[in-house]
Amino acid sequence: MKLAKNKLQQAFDLMAKEANLLVPMKIEGVTKFAPWGAEGELAMDAVNTLLPPKDALFPQTEKMYKYKTRLTQVESLEEIKETDKQIIFGIRSCDIHSIDCMDEVFLTRGYVDSFYSRKKENLTTVAIGCTKVLPTCFCDSMGLNPVAAPTADVQLNDLGDYYAVKAQTEKGEALVNLLKPLLEEGDGEAAALECTLKVNMDGVQKKLMNVKMFESDIWQETAQKCIGCGTCTYVCPTCYCFDIEGKECGNEGYKFRCWDSCMFSEYTRMAGGHNPRPSKKERVRNRFLHKLAYFEDRYGKGSLCVGCGRCVADCPVDLDITMFIDKVGALKEAGSND
Amino acid sequence: MTNHECTCGENPLVPQICNVIKITDETPDTKTFRVQTLDGKKPFDPMPGQLGMFSLIGVGEGMFSVTAKGEDYLDFAIKRCGMLTDALHEMSVGQQVGVRGAYGNTFPVEACKGKDMLFIGGGIGLAPVRSFIRYAFENREDYGKIDILYGARSAKDLVFKEDLYTNWPAMKDTKVHITVDCDDEELACHVGFVPAYLEELAFKPDNRMVVLCGPPIMIKFCLDSLTKMGFSNDQVITTLEMRMKCGIGKCGRCNIGSKYICLDGPVFTMAELEGLPQEF
Repeated sequence: MKLAKNKLQQAFDLMAKEANLLVPMKIEGVTKFAPWGAEGELAMDAVNTLLPPKDALFPQTEKMYKYKTRLTQVESLEEIKETDKQIIFGIRSCDIHSIDCMDEVFLTRGYVDSFYSRKKENLTTVAIGCTKVLPTCFCDSMGLNPVAAPTADVQLNDLGDYYAVKAQTEKGEALVNLLKPLLEEGDGEAAALECTLKVNMDGVQKKLMNVKMFESDIWQETAQKCIGCGTCTYVCPTCYCFDIEGKECGNEGYKFRCWDSCMFSEYTRMAGGHNPRPSKKERVRNRFLHKLAYFEDRYGKGSLCVGCGRCVADCPVDLDITMFIDKVGALKEAGSND
Repeated sequence: MTNHECTCGENPLVPQICNVIKITDETPDTKTFRVQTLDGKKPFDPMPGQLGMFSLIGVGEGMFSVTAKGEDYLDFAIKRCGMLTDALHEMSVGQQVGVRGAYGNTFPVEACKGKDMLFIGGGIGLAPVRSFIRYAFENREDYGKIDILYGARSAKDLVFKEDLYTNWPAMKDTKVHITVDCDDEELACHVGFVPAYLEELAFKPDNRMVVLCGPPIMIKFCLDSLTKMGFSNDQVITTLEMRMKCGIGKCGRCNIGSKYICLDGPVFTMAELEGLPQEF
């Protein structure tokens, strides 16, 4: 099937009736996924948005439960359940894969995170193949294809005046069915696309998992210019770490979770003051190892870096993960310093 | 060594409300809190070594090892050392708290069967070890000789005194060895650091497992001593601690390498720790 580009707004209206529809928008200079109808301009050509769409599944702050107290007693405690239907439209291959990674974290290994799973059940993703790449894009080096996201519910590809529309899951079929009045018969192949920025991950994960690598000088050298601002974790589509905090007013309050960052010293500081990651060297080391080695070791689903390039583009001091990968790749052996 | 069965209801991040039914002063900075659900049950059924997230609603949550379980209660021995624990120490009996768990793996109680046991605790480090000691006494026939070596800064810092001086020494084939760093009350016990006393007691490594918990510096020197005495790294079991928020391996912060302490730990053998980055 295909959808004429001039019917896009009609398609949005149709989808927005069924669910909270998130589309790429430019709002006050920031590109992000925002509800259709928000004040701002549609940014279908943003390639990847400045902010990733992770907050659809993993909001920046999310209420978990609310309670009422009376003196030292807890009168009530109630879990907060959000079950709104959501559609993310125009998501790219890299961000779709970031959802695959978050699924591993939140839905596997013994515990299902109910806050995440409820949102995931109610989410439909409409991916769009890229037609151009940014200088910082390197998803194909991380094993992805910029024009095809196999785990998206619906895949769109730009055919000039049309989008080719392909349902890839049951949820996707339901969505395509909804859009049927606007669709036309037809099909077309997306033109292949290659990223210009290349990295070579061959052997990098294995080297990094070697315990000798942990004590390498490479960490001090790499972390030297980090200013610990946390931008990389904020814009990263796969950074899922969170903090749990509470807010109380009078005799009622709620517990919430919010994005946290491994770049901050508070993150691992224990009661009593001991901090196993006391300086930026340990924190940068943990972040890069998590992205490029630990995640693969734990979940066996490839790297936790999807090659979206946001941290490369946005780091204020150009601490570039692709240069780090190259540096590790060039090491003669794990733990050597040249 | 894994147990991922959470017994706290549908959502593992939402606590159960419990009553504090007893508070025991252990030392000037440590209290044991006994908690029970509102319908008079234990909040969950942990195995030795497992953890529980203990919260004072409106103040905060912290992860603690479960010190003991009874028919209808759980005990948490908690040392005062931060904002949450300060507030916990202000509590009185009848107050309500949130509890969720059990989290983490367990001491290898099965693999230790048929062996002599040496339990070594330093300071509040006896709290996690106590769950295993109690288990061994409840299943006394499954274990050989039991030695408990416990050290604290001074006499007033000894936790679980009734166990140390009365209950445990009365058990079959059990010896309790107590030492304090400095003897300010002229207590009838050994004076000196735990590692030195350990060497003095000259335990034989044959068919013996060691459970070792305490401050990092004590663990380090005890390990040196144990190695000198001929123990291998797979005979020594310890627990790690890291800051935790979720307890279910999601929030990220308690990792050592690709392991999460809240899920894959807190119990590790020293042999297992050798394969991990030294970041604890």
